[in-house]
Amino acid sequence: MQLVIDREYLREAVAQADKAVSSRTTIPILSGILCTLTENEFILTGSDSDLSIRVTIPREIDDNKVFKVGKLGSIVLPAKYFTEIVKKLPEGQVEIEVKDQSIVHIRSSHSEFQLNGLDAQEYPRLPYIEENKVLTLPSHLFKNLIRQTSFAVSTQESKPILTGVHCALKHGELKLVATDSHRLSQRIVKVETDESLSFENVVIPGKSLAELQRILIDEDKPIEVVITNNQILVKTERILFFSRLLDGTYPDTERIIPQKSQAEITLNTKSLLQAIERASVLAKDGKHNVQLTSAEQTIHISSNSPEVGRVAEEVHVNNMVGDGFKIAFNAKYALDALRVIDSEEVKIEFTGSMSPLVLRSLDDQQLLQLILPIRIYENV
Amino acid sequence: MQTTMMNPRIKQWVINMTRNKRIAHAYLFVGKKGAGKKQAALFFAQALFCAEKNDGQPCGKCSHCLRISHFNHPDVHWVQPEGQSIKIEQVRHLQKEFAYRSMETEQKVYVIEAVEMMTSQAANSLLKFLEEPHPGTVALLLTDNHRELLPTIVSRCQQVPFPPPDQRNLSRQLAKAYDASLAHLAAQVTSIWEEASALCQAEWFAELKELVIQLTEEVAQPSNQPLFLILDRWLLIAPEKDQTDVGLDLLLFWYKDVLYTKLQISEALVFHEERDRLHKQALAWTEERLTQGMTAVLNAKRKLQAHVHPQLVLEQLVLKLQRRA
Repeated sequence: MQLVIDREYLREAVAQADKAVSSRTTIPILSGILCTLTENEFILTGSDSDLSIRVTIPREIDDNKVFKVGKLGSIVLPAKYFTEIVKKLPEGQVEIEVKDQSIVHIRSSHSEFQLNGLDAQEYPRLPYIEENKVLTLPSHLFKNLIRQTSFAVSTQESKPILTGVHCALKHGELKLVATDSHRLSQRIVKVETDESLSFENVVIPGKSLAELQRILIDEDKPIEVVITNNQILVKTERILFFSRLLDGTYPDTERIIPQKSQAEITLNTKSLLQAIERASVLAKDGKHNVQLTSAEQTIHISSNSPEVGRVAEEVHVNNMVGDGFKIAFNAKYALDALRVIDSEEVKIEFTGSMSPLVLRSLDDQQLLQLILPIRIYENV
Repeated sequence: MQTTMMNPRIKQWVINMTRNKRIAHAYLFVGKKGAGKKQAALFFAQALFCAEKNDGQPCGKCSHCLRISHFNHPDVHWVQPEGQSIKIEQVRHLQKEFAYRSMETEQKVYVIEAVEMMTSQAANSLLKFLEEPHPGTVALLLTDNHRELLPTIVSRCQQVPFPPPDQRNLSRQLAKAYDASLAHLAAQVTSIWEEASALCQAEWFAELKELVIQLTEEVAQPSNQPLFLILDRWLLIAPEKDQTDVGLDLLLFWYKDVLYTKLQISEALVFHEERDRLHKQALAWTEERLTQGMTAVLNAKRKLQAHVHPQLVLEQLVLKLQRRA
């Protein structure tokens, strides 16, 4: 392999690929970055086996030549040193040349590095995209979907399947669900796709999604999503993102979501959020119990920590149907849920003091946040 | 360089099993050091993953086989003791691996070397996965001492006994390159070619051998002075714990030889060049005291493993051998 490339493009691409490389890997080859040179592209791949990031540098960007191909080929370079070297090289052109099988020479103006590379054959094979099974959607939409659901994944390894976000596609509707068995968040969006394309029980690890969220840009440009047997692929313009899926069957969450409600109120999202934030100030030792009591045209929000003190607040209700109610819940869950509801108004559905509380965005009723209540002891 | 040959019986067993696709979820490879357990585990993984199998035998050349033998296959996980034990974090890492689907294929293999070195937390955590096996996941646990394992782990695995390695062959091979009597001794201490040849080359090993014989002579004498000189010398030439452990092995072989001499079993002697001295000592020991002596050496070995200082271990052992403690 031999090429001459502009340092700036190389530095950026190496930094992206390096994000997936873990310093604590048990598979030696994964401590490296795979560099592959083809006629038209220079491809860098980093992986920690859970997630992999593949960055493609095209030969020409906006009619500017980015690199000159000398000899095609591929090599794995130790990520730790390769990223440092590229970062510290002076600006201008960088030459990368593989000699004697695995000795890599990196030259730039006056400096020259010799780095011991590893055999590219040893690198894990990543799945290919099958063109007919592609789901296309705007980048910002997918980024938002992740933001609005993935916070609810479980962090406990005892139920590993719940550490991921469940993803399903049916009849052109994409559904994402995450739950840690105390709260649940779900959003369904219509996507333009081939009607025949469908999948279910695809569970993407929350950790991978957090990384993906960082990579996706808030823009209208389309991205491509492909699901294979073991992995999910997300393709943006330059970056191909792979994540292994979680093994196992995701629980049926449809049954948990109440179909009918005893009472429904709508109120201003921001004022409710701020009220709960204030009420949780007095929360002690992570017990963020907040009580919600309905009254005419208002709801009372109160919290009581015997050792610290108590707080009460009223929030104006825009619209109310059904009976009065009283419910207590964990303020942290409510805050997490309200923070991802972007609409001005939020609808709260109440189905009983021991049944889940449902929060919906008024702009998009398919964005749903569900919180399990906490038992209220009347005599306290 | 010679590596131990894989046992043909084990090899055939692996081939038959993968060919018939009747694979259990967990195997416990039990056998002495150098019995080829690790090699068999590699072979097993290759037989599962190889894309170009020839009559059940992995090709050893395809990308799966090559990466398995270089420990680079993403669906074959190796766990080795970190320092003195296999820690809970390492098993947690495995647990996480189980939660994910495999990377390239539909199956996963995990190999844990020296399972007996798991901490009890790690062992209990592993147990959970042996109890609820995932489809397509095979566990290979390697051990040279399955009695130290939790019985609950042993009972959840199919045990595969490995025949002990051929010591005679090893000592014959070693004798070609090194001093014959040292080669014979080294092959007794370890059955791994690399370790044995390292012993043959080491000066301390040869010196320790002489020192052990001197020690057995002096133990019978009433004066303690020369004994302590010997112990000082011992710790000087063999400062490492593992070296003292080898020394204790030699001592054990010596007393076994004394016992054999007493019982007139002469074929199996380790120190067969020292017949005269063995005879002389055999007269001074009773059979009962010899077994007591050997038990004392074994206890000393155990104490050494439990991080007792080598000097204290040796001094106590000497007193025991003299029946003063």
